[in-house]
Amino acid sequence: MTRLADLARVVRSKNAGPTLLTIDVLFAETVHLDRALPVLSSSRISSRYGIEADKIRIIPCRPAMAIKIVMPRELIAGDPGDRDVYGAQQHAPLLGIEV
Amino acid sequence: MKPELRVLAASGQLGYGIPEAAFSAGIARAPHVIGADMGSIDPGPTYLGSGRMATPPETTRRDLGLVLAAARGLGVPLLIGSAGTAGARPHLDATLQIVREIAREKRLRFRLASIAADIPKSLVHDARPLGAMRAMDLERTTHLVGQMGTEAFIRALDAGAEVVIAGRACDTAIFAALPLLRGYEPGPAMHMAKIVECTSLCCEPGGRDAILATLSDDSFELESMNPARAATPLSVAAHALYEQEDPYAVQEPEGTLDLRGARYEAIDARRTRVRGAAWLPRARPTVKIEGAGPSGERSVLLCSSADPRVIANLRDILRDVEAVTRRLVPGGDFSLYPRVYGETEVFLLLECIAPSAERGLAALGVFRQYLLHHGFAGRLSTGGNIAFPFAPPELPAGTAYRFTVYHVMEVEALAPLFPLSIEDIG
Repeated sequence: MTRLADLARVVRSKNAGPTLLTIDVLFAETVHLDRALPVLSSSRISSRYGIEADKIRIIPCRPAMAIKIVMPRELIAGDPGDRDVYGAQQHAPLLGIEV
Repeated sequence: MKPELRVLAASGQLGYGIPEAAFSAGIARAPHVIGADMGSIDPGPTYLGSGRMATPPETTRRDLGLVLAAARGLGVPLLIGSAGTAGARPHLDATLQIVREIAREKRLRFRLASIAADIPKSLVHDARPLGAMRAMDLERTTHLVGQMGTEAFIRALDAGAEVVIAGRACDTAIFAALPLLRGYEPGPAMHMAKIVECTSLCCEPGGRDAILATLSDDSFELESMNPARAATPLSVAAHALYEQEDPYAVQEPEGTLDLRGARYEAIDARRTRVRGAAWLPRARPTVKIEGAGPSGERSVLLCSSADPRVIANLRDILRDVEAVTRRLVPGGDFSLYPRVYGETEVFLLLECIAPSAERGLAALGVFRQYLLHHGFAGRLSTGGNIAFPFAPPELPAGTAYRFTVYHVMEVEALAPLFPLSIEDIG
């Protein structure tokens, strides 16, 4: 059983401005990207993040051998109760996805 | 054929300590311009709202001294954007003050331009929110800035500036201004600027060392000034994704950088050549505006629990203890935000936002004591439900800020929003 953490070269998250979260999944081989792409569906990501599927964008970026995922942040960065001002630790829910 | 133009990106976050070996290696390559980014709103609303710098004063002074001395030594322009972290008036003034002090100490002479980025509140009513931003709250905004583009830096260079200290600016504007002024193609120039603004972060392995970009007619070449870092076609292409909402389109005040045609090709193991980005100018410029202001006084309670029954019931316990606290602490005008970390032993961080630090600490003190002794069904831990790392475990954390504006607005012209001041130093 292979998980995304085993297949990807990098899985990183960061804010794209204070209202959006962006997650980049980088691969070492195009075949890995092609294997992960159908699995990283908006409905699967929605269930892991609790964000409505239609608010999640999944953008393959072949020159970088990458898949970008963009979704709204639950709280605007730095608001009271925020757990991650930079959004740098929001990639973890993806790591265990079976690919 | 245009002659090659070398752009040295000294820092993506000036003030946290520029790695000196790579910076010196870059200076030895005789760049035509040195650029450094000094901030953003990535670190949250506190710096913009308060007017404080995020970077430590000592390293900020060190870094500014390093780049000023090197730029004056070569006699090339030094461009710094988003001065003092958030680029509002207090950040700009504090940065200018350090620059003047360094110039005096090192006996440097130069024409200094400063460009303010503060936007009058009366101008922003028609701006539209970005992403899921809430409605604008101008009344509670202490600082409101706009991101300036290349236009402002070009105006400063045209005025003969040798050192430009700009308030809030697009990262790209810092590094693309001189190439555009010298007539280089805007597509590759803006693409180059977009990549080098984080210095060697676009390399494998990524890092904070200076990077050199060499522009020619229709392409540019990237080389980290740390020999251990390689700019490979893959590492550079992947960097286009970093902190971006769209990997193929980057919105700038004067237009859109279109990366769909970008091509990356290895020159050797450590250098990559990039071409093919297009620049689509906008009919009416747009400005991203950012505002922040205080939302109350913050205090925090830090504690933990290793008791499985406390952990299993924690959600209910926190709810019940909050109810008790609200009955006991007068006013009730505080908000509590619990965060629980871990599973078998949990850490509890309870944030309180209140009108005063005293009120917040009162609420947390009462909460802590009732949490310690709260009774619940099946409780074993009658000596205390939680552990404190020190006492008192509640601490004042200063004024809390929040973003009040994160919007974009169309404008007739950019120049009137970003006024230039010139000062001859030395």
